[in-house]
Amino acid sequence: MSSPAIDIRGLHKSYRMGRTQLHVLRGVSFAVPEGQFAAVVGASGSGKSTLLHLAGLLDRPDKGALHLGGQDAATLSAARRNRMRCRDIGFVFQFYHLLPELNVLENVLLPARTDASLFAWASRRRDARERSLALLDELGLSDRLRHRPKELSGGERQRVAIARALINHPRVLLADEPTGNLDSKTGLAIMNVLRRFHKQFNQTVLMVTHDLSLAEQADRVLHLRDGHLGG
Amino acid sequence: MYILFLCLRYLRSRIIAYFAVLAVALCVAMMLIVVSVMNGFLDKIEQAAKGLFGDVVIESASAAGFGRYDEFIAELEQKVPEVEAASPFIVAYSILRVPGTDYIRPMQVAGLRLPAQAKVTSFAEGLGFQPGSETPSFDPPFEVLLETLSAELARTQAMRKDLLQGRATWDLPPEQAQLADVLQYAVDAQTLGKLKLEIALRYQAELGQVARALSEAEREHGPTSPQALKLAERLDEFREESGVMEPDNRVILGLGIPGLMHRTGDGQTIRLIVPGQNVVISVPPLGRGMTSDITPNNARLTIIDDCRTDVSSIDSEQIYLPFETAQKLNNMDAQYAADGELVRPARCSQIHVKVRREFSRDEQLHRIAVRINELWDDFTTRYPDAETTEVTARTWRERQARIIAPIQQQRTLVVTMFAIISLVSVVLIFVIFYTIVVQKTRDIGVIKAVGGSSWGVAQVFLGYGAMIGLVGAILGCVGGYYFVRYINPIQDGLDTWLGFRVWSREWFLFEKIPNTVEPLAAVLIMVGAIAAGLVGAMLPAVRAARMQPVEALRYE
Repeated sequence: MSSPAIDIRGLHKSYRMGRTQLHVLRGVSFAVPEGQFAAVVGASGSGKSTLLHLAGLLDRPDKGALHLGGQDAATLSAARRNRMRCRDIGFVFQFYHLLPELNVLENVLLPARTDASLFAWASRRRDARERSLALLDELGLSDRLRHRPKELSGGERQRVAIARALINHPRVLLADEPTGNLDSKTGLAIMNVLRRFHKQFNQTVLMVTHDLSLAEQADRVLHLRDGHLGG
Repeated sequence: MYILFLCLRYLRSRIIAYFAVLAVALCVAMMLIVVSVMNGFLDKIEQAAKGLFGDVVIESASAAGFGRYDEFIAELEQKVPEVEAASPFIVAYSILRVPGTDYIRPMQVAGLRLPAQAKVTSFAEGLGFQPGSETPSFDPPFEVLLETLSAELARTQAMRKDLLQGRATWDLPPEQAQLADVLQYAVDAQTLGKLKLEIALRYQAELGQVARALSEAEREHGPTSPQALKLAERLDEFREESGVMEPDNRVILGLGIPGLMHRTGDGQTIRLIVPGQNVVISVPPLGRGMTSDITPNNARLTIIDDCRTDVSSIDSEQIYLPFETAQKLNNMDAQYAADGELVRPARCSQIHVKVRREFSRDEQLHRIAVRINELWDDFTTRYPDAETTEVTARTWRERQARIIAPIQQQRTLVVTMFAIISLVSVVLIFVIFYTIVVQKTRDIGVIKAVGGSSWGVAQVFLGYGAMIGLVGAILGCVGGYYFVRYINPIQDGLDTWLGFRVWSREWFLFEKIPNTVEPLAAVLIMVGAIAAGLVGAMLPAVRAARMQPVEALRYE
């Protein structure tokens, strides 16, 4: 039996806010098998985003174990963590986080560029570009390739962010409130896109949201409350 | 790949970076201009010192000079193989007058041998009427003088025509009207000079014939014979009519003597006196060695050429006479007792020595000067009448040390001051980059989220800083180069339009501001600019690199 894509055991994380120590996660444990679409729901401040950041190797836990594709994250060097973030993990953020100086195509290509040296890029450029164009075509953004993020609507921006997250074929897609900044109709469309790509690429998806109706579209729903995981 | 890509993209799209580029460009241009002008100024002083006096100068502490110079030069050329050529030189003082006018002016007299002096110094390069001549003389062919003078006259007439453009002088603004008058005076003077040279050329054949007949008559019948006296009288008549003095009584004027030339606002020289015209000089004979009697010796001299060294203080104050003429006028010629015995040998003020090119490094020249001093000591034991006061040989640099050393210090000081001022660009880049890093906090989080390393993020900002330095350096270098190249027209333009003149010929010795850029200086300044960009971006880059991705993504 293959190891789960995400395996979290007894994860603790706290932050110092002035004089007080804020315990955000208090021993969270769960595993997401390969190819599952899991949603974590919880109220604002329940630690959803912190959990996602830890799972995405953007932060380090105070205590507990995190395994990604069977690899213990604690033993990874900084360079290996960077490489995993680049190749194995794709992020979709609530506020899109597109680079304003880059156009749509360049934003999508950014992770591919990050994964290649100057010389390697010369040989990979064509493939990466074709992949980007295919993704953007599927997302209905073919006519927006040269547009800057500020020239796009919220939904379009999020679709660009999804294309960026998928460009390197990551095994895990982490989505942090992907519809949180969109109206319900656009949010639904984005959710459909995520579900479609999840099926198409058989990726493991971990999405955090406070919207139960969205979470219910996932294969599995986890409830995070006061740093603990429930049902 | 993302590092170079983001560097270039940030450079193109961040308008604030243009200010950093501008600051670097201005600092580079400023440094290049200052370094080029200061280096050029120093270089000109050194070249002028070397060009005017040769590699080594042997000179007496007294105006009375020293004797036996020809014997010593012969010995020098024989015993010091590094010496290529040497020529005696006389320094005296005079009052210059222009007959028929009330022009009178004190001048320094340089007595030199031509073409010998041209082999030792760069004197010949500045001659206006014997251009390119390897054997300049005080008796050049009149045809050559006439040809050059005709061209000069045509140039002056064209200048006047351009100025007037069909208008009368009184229709011009006062300054232009004044210039038109000066040009008219110059045209008249040059026409007169040309006429005199044409007459002299016509008489030259007859003069030669009469002079030859005279010397023959003197040899055959004696100098007081009726035949000789008649021919001598005829020769004088011819000379009087031609108006041009014999080669011994000719003079080369410095091309910068106030009143005898005019310099226009845009730096053009208008000659108000030209070859063919005569001047009179009165020389107080300081070489006599007796201060109780300095009754001046007078001479009427025909101008045969003018010389420009580009050293303002020399061009405006110096006239050049044949060596023996200057020697005689300064009472430095040989003195004999009534019985014909030599009492005092003929003297000179200096000997200018040219050293072979392969021995012209400073330390080699110094060794040669030491050797010449030893040789002189030995020489004076054999010829005790050669020296009256101490005679020393010094290299051109040692001789000009009092002038060159302060200018070198001044250059170092000015360049250091401007380099410190240029540090402003480092501070500006730092401030701009700090602002950019703060503004780009979320982007830094994104770059790290998609796999960018801390070092990679640092490289983005360091590369960005280096590119700002490079682009600024290139722009500044091009701007600085063209500013330096056209610095003289710019200065003339400022003078014409605003009456603002930075460079004064009187203060800075030279006619023109040095306008050459040393490639090495340009490269060093550009490297400095790139380093400034890197240094300015260093701390912001470190801050960006150390940023935690989670905190960066949450930044608002």
